[in-house]
Amino acid sequence: MKALVVAEYPRDALESLAAAEGMDRVLLLFGPAAGESSRIAGHAKTYSINSRDPEAVYNSLRRVYDDEKPDLVLGVVSKNVKDILSRIAGVYDLPMSTEVTEFKIEGGKVVYKRGILSERAYSVEEVDTPAIILVNPRIYKPLDESPGEPITLEPGASRVKSLGFERKQLSGVKLEEAEVVVGVGRGFKKKEDLKLAFELAELLGGQVGGSRPVAADFKWLPEDAWIGISGKRISPKLYIAIGISGAPQHMSAVLGSKVIVAVNKDKNAPIFKLSDYGVVADLYQFIPVLIKKIKERKGS
Amino acid sequence: MGDIIVLLKAALNPEMVRSKPDGSLDQDAIPLKLSDIDRNAVEEAAKLKGKLGGKIIGITVLTVGPLARREKDLRMAVQEALAKGVDEAIIVADDSITPGDQVQTANIIVEVIKKSGLKPDLILASEATIDETTGQIAGRVAAKLDMPYISFARSLDVVDGKVVAERDLEEDLEKVEAPLPVVVSVTQEINQPRPPTLIQIRRASRKPQKRLTAQDVKDALGVRRRILERRIISVKRKQEIIDGSSLEEIADKLLDILEREGVVKL
Ligand SMILES: Cc1cc2nc3c(=O)[nH]c(=O)nc-3n(C[C@H](O)[C@H](O)[C@H](O)COP(=O)(O)OP(=O)(O)OC[C@H]3O[C@@H](n4cnc5c(N)ncnc54)[C@H](O)[C@@H]3O)c2cc1C
Ligand SMILES: Nc1ncnc2c1ncn2[C@@H]1O[C@H](COP(=O)(O)O)[C@@H](O)[C@H]1O
Repeated sequence: MKALVVAEYPRDALESLAAAEGMDRVLLLFGPAAGESSRIAGHAKTYSINSRDPEAVYNSLRRVYDDEKPDLVLGVVSKNVKDILSRIAGVYDLPMSTEVTEFKIEGGKVVYKRGILSERAYSVEEVDTPAIILVNPRIYKPLDESPGEPITLEPGASRVKSLGFERKQLSGVKLEEAEVVVGVGRGFKKKEDLKLAFELAELLGGQVGGSRPVAADFKWLPEDAWIGISGKRISPKLYIAIGISGAPQHMSAVLGSKVIVAVNKDKNAPIFKLSDYGVVADLYQFIPVLIKKIKERKGS
Repeated sequence: MGDIIVLLKAALNPEMVRSKPDGSLDQDAIPLKLSDIDRNAVEEAAKLKGKLGGKIIGITVLTVGPLARREKDLRMAVQEALAKGVDEAIIVADDSITPGDQVQTANIIVEVIKKSGLKPDLILASEATIDETTGQIAGRVAAKLDMPYISFARSLDVVDGKVVAERDLEEDLEKVEAPLPVVVSVTQEINQPRPPTLIQIRRASRKPQKRLTAQDVKDALGVRRRILERRIISVKRKQEIIDGSSLEEIADKLLDILEREGVVKL
C-alpha cells in the first residue's frame, strides 16, 4: 500500500504520516509546511512546493500523482488541502472522503467512518483504491520531526492571482481544555452585552465561546472561540449555552460535555431537547440574577 | 455577463434525524430540504445578476431515493431556489442513480452542463452540504471543466470581467482575482439570504424546469462508494426544564443542581 501524504501545515504532515504508519509513504508539502520541509523530510521521500495557491499546487501535484501512482492520497482536513484534493478527485474520478475519524485498509479496499447529517449520525463506508482520505485533525499522534532533504518542485501554472493574505485576529483561547464553557449565540443583541457571559465565565473559572454567526459573521468573538462542526469541538464538565438555538452543526460539537445547560427565551428551541437543564427566560433578565446568586454563594 | 450556474442540493435534513429501534439510521423517514448554504449561493447569484445581467440556472441531482418518496421535497427545494432568484432549473432524478456519491454527482453535473450547451461565466456552489458535508463537488466540477476555482469565498464581486474574492482560510483571509469563467464555493458568511417575497413565490411556479433521467446522462453514471452502515449518534440528556415562581428561585435551583452534579464549586 503506497500512500501519498499531502500537507499544508507541519503538524498536519506529522499527523498524516502517523496515519499512514506501515505504508510505503511519499510526502508532498506546500505552503507553510514547505518552509519547514527540511525538518520533516527524513520520514519519507519528500516533495516540497513553495506555494499556497491551490491551482498551482494542484498542477504540480498531478505530475507527482502520475509518477508515484499511490493507492491512497492521505491528509488532515484543512481548507486548501480539501480544495486541492477535490480537484485531483475530480480529474481522476477518485472517491474522496473528508472528516474521517477512523479508517483501515482491508484487501485493497479502504473502510472508513465519518460523521454525516452534521454529525448527528455516522456512516461506515467502503471504497476501492486508489482513493483520497482526509482525517480530522488531532486524531493521530504526530510523529517527531526528522530532518532530511526535500525535492523542491516548481509551483505549476495558475490562473488565480493572490492579492495577499490578512492574518485573522485570534485570541489563543483553548476552549478544548476549559472545564467550564459559556457559549453565546444570536440571542445577544450586541457585542457589548457579551460582558454578561464573560462575567459568568470568570466567576465559574471558565472560558467564553460562541456560535458560528457570533464568531464568524458578526466577529464579536475571535474565530478560535467558534464552537461547532466547522469550528471547535469541546468536552467540558459544564457547557452553558445562552441564546443559542441548538442547530445540529453547533450541538454535535458539544456532545462530549458532562452537563449541558441551556438558557433560551423560546420554550420550543431545539436546544432544550439536547440539554440536561433548561431555563426558559430572557437572558438579559436571567443572567444578571444568576451572576448575583453566584456572587452571594461565593461571598458566604 | 454570461450565465450563472448555481449547484443546488436537496439534502437530508439533520434537524429531523430518525432512527430505527436498533439505532440504525432510518434514512427513508428523514425529509430533504435545500441545503442551508446553497441559499447563500443563490442570494449571491441574484446579487451578481442584478449588477451584471445574465441568467441564473440551477442544477440539482437527486442523490437519495426512492424518487416517489422524495418527489415532494425535491420540488419544494427547487421551488425555493426559483423563488429566491434562480431563473430556470435542471433536475436530474432517477431511482437508478440513488444512492449517489460525489464521483457520480460531479460527473452528472458536468454532463448536464456540456449536453445542455451551457457556457456559464460563473458556477456557484456552497462550501459544504448539511448532510454529507464533504465540500468537494465544486472542486471536482472545476477540475473536470478545467476552470479556475476559488474555494471558501467570504466575499465575491465581478469587476472589469474579473472575479475578485476573499477566501476564508484557517488563520488568514486571502484576497484573490481570477478571469471568468470561474467556479466559486461560498461560505455562510458571504451574505444574509432574504426570504422571498410573495410575488417571487408566485412567479417561481411559472419558471421553466427541465427534468432529466439517468438515460439523459448515461455516460456519467457509476458510483464508487458502498455504504456499509449508518447509525444515529444517540444523545441522552435529562431535558429537565427548571421551573420556579421567580428568576431568583430558578437560579438557586440551577446552582444547587450544578453543585450536586459536581460541575461547579462555589
Ligand atoms: C455546513 C454548516 C456548518 C455550520 N457550522 C457551524 C458551527 O460550526 N457552529 C455553529 O454554531 N453553527 C454552525 N452552522 C450554523 C448553524 O446552522 C446555525 O445557523 C447557528 O448555529 C445558529 O446560531 P445561534 O444559535 O447563535 O443563532 P439562532 O439560531 O438565531 O438562535 C438564537 C437563539 O437565541 C434565542 N434568543 C433570542 N433572544 C433571546 C433572549 N433575549 N434571551 C434568551 N434567548 C434569546 C432565540 O430563541 C434563538 O433560539 C453551520 C451551518 C452549516 C450549514
Ligand atoms: N447532488 C447535488 N446536486 C447539485 N449540487 C450539488 C449536489 N451535491 C453537492 N452539490 C453542490 O456542492 C456543494 C457542496 O456539496 P458537498 O461537496 O457534498 O459538501 C453543495 O452545497 C451544492 O452547491
